[in-house]
Amino acid sequence: MSTKKILLAGTMLAMIGLVWLGVVYWMSFFWVSTEVTQGIAQRIFYVHVPAAWTSFLAFGLAALFSGMYLWLRDERLDRAAVSAAEGGMVFATIMLTTGPLWGKIAWGTYWTWEPRLTLTLLLWFIFLGYFLVRSSTENPEKGKRHAAVVAIVGALDIPFIHLSVIWFRSLHPAPVVIKPEGPTLPGDMLTTLLMSLGAFTVLFLGLFLLRYSLENLRSELDTRSRHASV
Amino acid sequence: MRNYLKQIRTILWKDLLVEFRTRERLIAMGAFVVLVAILFNYATDWARVSPEDIASGLVWMTIMFAGLLGVGRTFHLEAEDGAFQGILMSPVPKDAIFIAKALANFVFLYIMALLVVGVFIFFFGLEVGGSFGMLTLVIALGVLAFVALGTLFTAVSTGTRMGDTLLPVLIFPLLAPVVIYGTGATSQFLAGRPVTEAEGSIRMLAAFALTAFFLGSWLFRFVVED
Amino acid sequence: MREYGTVTAVDGIDLSLARGEFLTIFGPNGAGKTSLLALLAGALRPNRGQVWLRGETLDFGEVEWRHRIGVLSHQGFLYGHLSAEENLRFYGQLFGLSDLDYVVNHKLQHLGLQDRAGSLVRDLSHGMKQRLALARALLHDPDIVLLDEPYTGLDPSAAIVLQGVLSDLKDGQRTIVMVTHNLTEGLALATTAAIMNRGRFVWQGKRAEIEGDFGQFYHGVIEGEE
Repeated sequence: MSTKKILLAGTMLAMIGLVWLGVVYWMSFFWVSTEVTQGIAQRIFYVHVPAAWTSFLAFGLAALFSGMYLWLRDERLDRAAVSAAEGGMVFATIMLTTGPLWGKIAWGTYWTWEPRLTLTLLLWFIFLGYFLVRSSTENPEKGKRHAAVVAIVGALDIPFIHLSVIWFRSLHPAPVVIKPEGPTLPGDMLTTLLMSLGAFTVLFLGLFLLRYSLENLRSELDTRSRHASV
Repeated sequence: MRNYLKQIRTILWKDLLVEFRTRERLIAMGAFVVLVAILFNYATDWARVSPEDIASGLVWMTIMFAGLLGVGRTFHLEAEDGAFQGILMSPVPKDAIFIAKALANFVFLYIMALLVVGVFIFFFGLEVGGSFGMLTLVIALGVLAFVALGTLFTAVSTGTRMGDTLLPVLIFPLLAPVVIYGTGATSQFLAGRPVTEAEGSIRMLAAFALTAFFLGSWLFRFVVED
Repeated sequence: MREYGTVTAVDGIDLSLARGEFLTIFGPNGAGKTSLLALLAGALRPNRGQVWLRGETLDFGEVEWRHRIGVLSHQGFLYGHLSAEENLRFYGQLFGLSDLDYVVNHKLQHLGLQDRAGSLVRDLSHGMKQRLALARALLHDPDIVLLDEPYTGLDPSAAIVLQGVLSDLKDGQRTIVMVTHNLTEGLALATTAAIMNRGRFVWQGKRAEIEGDFGQFYHGVIEGEE
C-alpha cells in the first residue's frame, strides 16, 4: 500500500474513532446507570479499562513488529514498531492517570499496588527505555536494533511481571478490596464498556496508521534531501 | 559442541583471570556492599524493627544496586584496546560470547551477593539458621536472572551516549519479578517457615532465570552486530 | 581466484582480488574506507549486496569466513592485563587452533617477542604491542589480511619493523588489503592501489601504472571530485 493510501485509511479510522469516542462519552455520562457502591466516579472506568487494553495491544504489536524487524530487516517494520510503541505510551499514560484519580475517590488513596496498574507502570518504564535507547545512539540503525531488543524482552517479561505482582498482592492483601469489574456487570455497563473498547481500538489503529505514514514520509524526505545534497 | 564449550571456557577464564589480576570490580562491589550496610545502620531505627523483618528487602535491594555497579563494567575491560572487536571477529558464535560473559558476571555477582548476606549476619546479627543452603540457592537463581538481563542490556547501554546511566532504566522494570519472588522466598526462610512454602517462588525464579538466559543468548547477536 | 563480488553497502564498489595481491586503498577521512574493510571482515552487515568467496556467497557472520580473515587495526585487540603469550593463547583457543603451543611460540619468535612472552601487554612499548597485535592477527594463518591504518601511532623504528613484517606477508599466497591515508607507507608494498571518496572508488589501478608524484595525482583526483 502506498503511503498516501495508508494516510487516508489512518485519517478515516481516526475520525471514526473520535466520533465513536464521542458517543461513548455521551453514553458514559448520560446513558449508563450509576454504579451503586462507588457512585459517579466509577464512570472513569469506561476510559480506564479500554485505555489499558489498547496500551497492551499497542505494546504487543510493537514487540511483534520489533521481532519481525530483527528477522527481516525491513525499515517499514521498525517504523510500524515505533508507531505502535508511541501509541502504547499514550494509552498507558491515560490508564496510569485515570487509575489514581479513580482510586483517590473510590478508596481514598491515589496508588494501590493493584496488579494491572503496577504492570502497566512497569511497562511504561520498559518502553521509556525503548525510546531512550532509540534516540541515544550515534548510528540510528543500531538504535533501532537495540530498541527492538528492549521491546522483545519487555513483551516476554510481561507474563512474569503479571504473575509476580498478583502473587505479591496475595501475600499482602490491600486494605480495601473492591473489584471494579466483577463478572456480574449489569447489562448497560457492559454495553458501554464494549462500545468504549471498540472506540479506543479503532482510534488507536487510526493513530497508528497516521503515525506510520508520518514515519514513511519522514524517511522519504531524508532520502530525497540526501540525494539533493550529493 | 566441544569446540563451543571450549570457546565459552576460554572467554570465561580470560575474564576471571583479568578480574583476579586487577580485582577492580570485586573491590568496588565489596566496598559498596559494606558501606551501604553501614549507612543502613544509621538509616534504620533498630529499636523498633528487628533485622529479620526488613533484612530480605534490604539484602535484595543491595544485591540489585551492587549488581548494577558490577555488571555495568562488563565491556569496559574489552573496550580498552578494542579487544571486543577481536572477539567478535573470531569464529566464536555470538551466543557463546554472551554465555561466557554472563557466566563471568555470575561469578563476580554471586561472590558479592554472598558477601551481602555475610555483612547482614555480621553487622545486624541476622539469624539465618538452617535455611542458609536454601537462601544461597534462591540468591543464585536471582543473580543468574540478573546477569542474564544485565549482560544483555549492558551491551545495549554501552552502545548509547547515555552509557551506564541508562542501565537501571532498562533492567529494573524487567527485574521486578526477581525482586518480588526473591524477597518473598527470603522472608519466608528468615521467618523460619518450612521450605515447601517457598517452593513456588523458587520455581518461578528458576523459570525466569532460564527464560532470561535463553533470551539473552538469542538477542545478543543483534546488539553486538555493528 | 578469490572474489569479493558486489559490496554495495558502501556504495556500489565492485572489488575482486587475486591471490598474492596487495591492495592499498587511499582516501580522506570519512571516505568509507574503514566501513569497506569491516564489510570485508564480515563485521558489518551489508544493507544490499553480497560477498563471494571462491564462487560461493558468504552469509553475514559466517564462522568459516572468520577463519580465513585476519584483521589488524590501529587498535591491537589485546588485553593489557594478560601477558603477550596469554593474549595469543586466548585468541588461538577462540580460533580452535590445534597445535597451540607450537604456533604461539613460533609467532612470538618470528616477531622477536620471545623474551617478553611473559610480560603483561600494558608493560610493552607501543611498537612491541603493534608487533604482538600483528602476531594476533596472523595467528590462525589467514589467507586474507585486512589492515586498517596499521601505522597510526607508531614511532619510526616500529614502523620499519611493521614494514618488514608486512613485506614477509607478501608471499604470493595471501591477499592483503590495507586502508590508510599515509601515501608513502601505503604505496611501499602495494601491487594495486585505489582511491576512495564518498563511498566509491574514484580511481583504481596497478602500482606500476603510477608515474611521477602520486601525492599530486591523489590530490588531483580528490579535488576533481569536489
